[in-house]
Amino acid sequence: MQHEIQARPAATVLKVDLEQGESLTCEVGAMIAMSSGMTVETTSRQKGGKGGLMKGLKRMFSGENFFLNHFTAQNPDQSIYLGPTLMGDVIYHPLDNATLIVQGASWLASDPGIEVDASWQGFGKALFSGESMFWVKCSGTGDLFLNSFGAIYEVDVDGQYTVDSGHIVAFEETLQFKIGKAGKSLIGSFLGGEGLVCKFEGQGKLYCQSHNPPSFGKLLGPQLRPR
Amino acid sequence: MEAEIADKPSFAHIRVKLDPGDSIVAEADAMASMSSDIEMSTRWNGGFCSAILRRVFGGESLFVNEFTTRTGGSLVITQALPGDMDCFELDGNTMFLQPGAYIACEPTVKLGLGWAGFASLIGGEGLFRLKVSGTGKVWFGAYGGIFSRDIDEEYVIDTGHLVGYDPSISLKVGMSGGIFSSFFSGEGLVTRVKGPGKVYMQSRSIGGLAAWTNARMY
Amino acid sequence: MSTADQMPSDVQFEITQRPDFGLLSVQLADGQQIFAEPAAMASMTPNAHMKAGMKGGFKKTLGRMLGGESLIINTFTAQQGAAEVTFAPGTPGDVLHYHLDQNTLLLQRGAFLAYTDGVELTGKWQGAKGFFSGEGLVLLKASGAGDIFFNSYGAILEVDVTDEFIVDTSYIVAFEDTLDYRVTILEGMKVSSKIKSFFFGGEGLVCKFSGQGKIWIQTRAVNPFLSWIYPFRPTKNNN
Repeated sequence: MQHEIQARPAATVLKVDLEQGESLTCEVGAMIAMSSGMTVETTSRQKGGKGGLMKGLKRMFSGENFFLNHFTAQNPDQSIYLGPTLMGDVIYHPLDNATLIVQGASWLASDPGIEVDASWQGFGKALFSGESMFWVKCSGTGDLFLNSFGAIYEVDVDGQYTVDSGHIVAFEETLQFKIGKAGKSLIGSFLGGEGLVCKFEGQGKLYCQSHNPPSFGKLLGPQLRPR
Repeated sequence: MEAEIADKPSFAHIRVKLDPGDSIVAEADAMASMSSDIEMSTRWNGGFCSAILRRVFGGESLFVNEFTTRTGGSLVITQALPGDMDCFELDGNTMFLQPGAYIACEPTVKLGLGWAGFASLIGGEGLFRLKVSGTGKVWFGAYGGIFSRDIDEEYVIDTGHLVGYDPSISLKVGMSGGIFSSFFSGEGLVTRVKGPGKVYMQSRSIGGLAAWTNARMY
Repeated sequence: MSTADQMPSDVQFEITQRPDFGLLSVQLADGQQIFAEPAAMASMTPNAHMKAGMKGGFKKTLGRMLGGESLIINTFTAQQGAAEVTFAPGTPGDVLHYHLDQNTLLLQRGAFLAYTDGVELTGKWQGAKGFFSGEGLVLLKASGAGDIFFNSYGAILEVDVTDEFIVDTSYIVAFEDTLDYRVTILEGMKVSSKIKSFFFGGEGLVCKFSGQGKIWIQTRAVNPFLSWIYPFRPTKNNN
């Protein structure tokens, strides 16, 4: 599998070239264009570890699952273009028998050899209640592609680093973390506008995004037609 | 203090390195991430009255965050909208900014609320504008790219595209065309600015995005 | 970079803030005109006289109506000297210029920004409708001789088709009419397209291109965006 990241840094698109027999997994809706020798199969993953089997149409459309497309090249020299939902960048992070925790909307595509588990609940429900954020645990070996809302910047944590929760793209499982308030006091934090922040500790790689999707959504939302 | 605007013009954000004792004032909600040696404290955003008015009309929050450090540290300051950022340095002069455009400033800058006039309100640009004065750097941002024009006479700006301007610029509301054209063109009323002075504009507007989204909404 | 960047033009223009927030600035000579999408004007000198109207008369207007564009095309004319008009689309993305020389370009609805005299714009409806009364593939046809400016949501990629190529319909910006095209549902996505439609309000349709010609595709689409912004919309109960 070869890849090329084009049109950086804000309207970034991922181009993947597949040899005959190779496959790529991505979320339904991410495919922009592809050559004609590919087939596709759809599966689903449950978000947030709600437990139980996927039952019935109602459960399917409730937002509790997210749907994956598995593209396989039937002919040689196939290519596929993938695009994220929001403006932003794409980054390549191959896994080598390792685990990366990825913010749900930031997972773009991966090698089928990587296990994609959307039921990870390390942050608990409190963190993003009402904003339908979920986390994907990616583990195994193979190519992995992430996307961001905004520019992606890497922080090699060695000690402690604080990130506003909406700015986390992904982090290595080796890091410990604590959800807390940004300011010195509860009042200061609340009135100051900072929501909950994540204090990472230990050693490991952290990917952050320069912009915060819920902040953007809250600014545009009120100007839209009611639902 | 070192502050650099990175990733212009699409997702501009400020990478700040503070020396011990340094501080930077930023809009609430603007901190993306910071090292552990940065302390954040919240204070009133100017006088009581103007702070309340700004909250109700100007779109700024009542409080601002002041980021300080005793040992030195770094932080990333951002804005809610994707777009450009720019910085100007005040030296006793004044600049006007659309309320949503302000991002951060040095503690020596004075933030105040100015009356933009009814023309501004009718033209869709709001009743108030942010007045920045004093000395020091001010960072402002936009939705889209920032472009400017040095105006001698008059210039016409569509609603939602005005970002900031020199105090020598005056605002007037006007029609975009004749009566029929103004309202059927989709342009409506526009802001007519009169120079001399510099005007900063943005190449996208939230209103434009909202209209595009609403037209395709199900 | 696109080959369209090297084309000649009848009007003096500049596209800045590329590729994410493309802004088109046009310098009109005295008496010169440009025709644009409603609400596209961002700023202008006061002597760029704007008139809302139906260019080309009623019959052509009807065709444009079926093409999904609104009835109104705005005409900007420089009066008493040269004038400047800047145009900004509603979405983040690029703006591209193409010079028509008695050939034809097909554009998706919403991609057209502005054009000059000599260009004829008509609607062409491709009837493959999806599960919802969404876009399907609604095309405008631009022909004649002159300049046309189109915009994208996201960046624009130019693809030279020499054999066969499949594009999700929501990512098509424009293509040369030398290509054959067919709208269909992708094999294997028959089950998922119902799901996709529900989630994204879209049709799960793709367009199969064959032959030779250029396609311009965009790197972002409206349907996933609508799905994402849905929870942030005000609810009818608490306004």
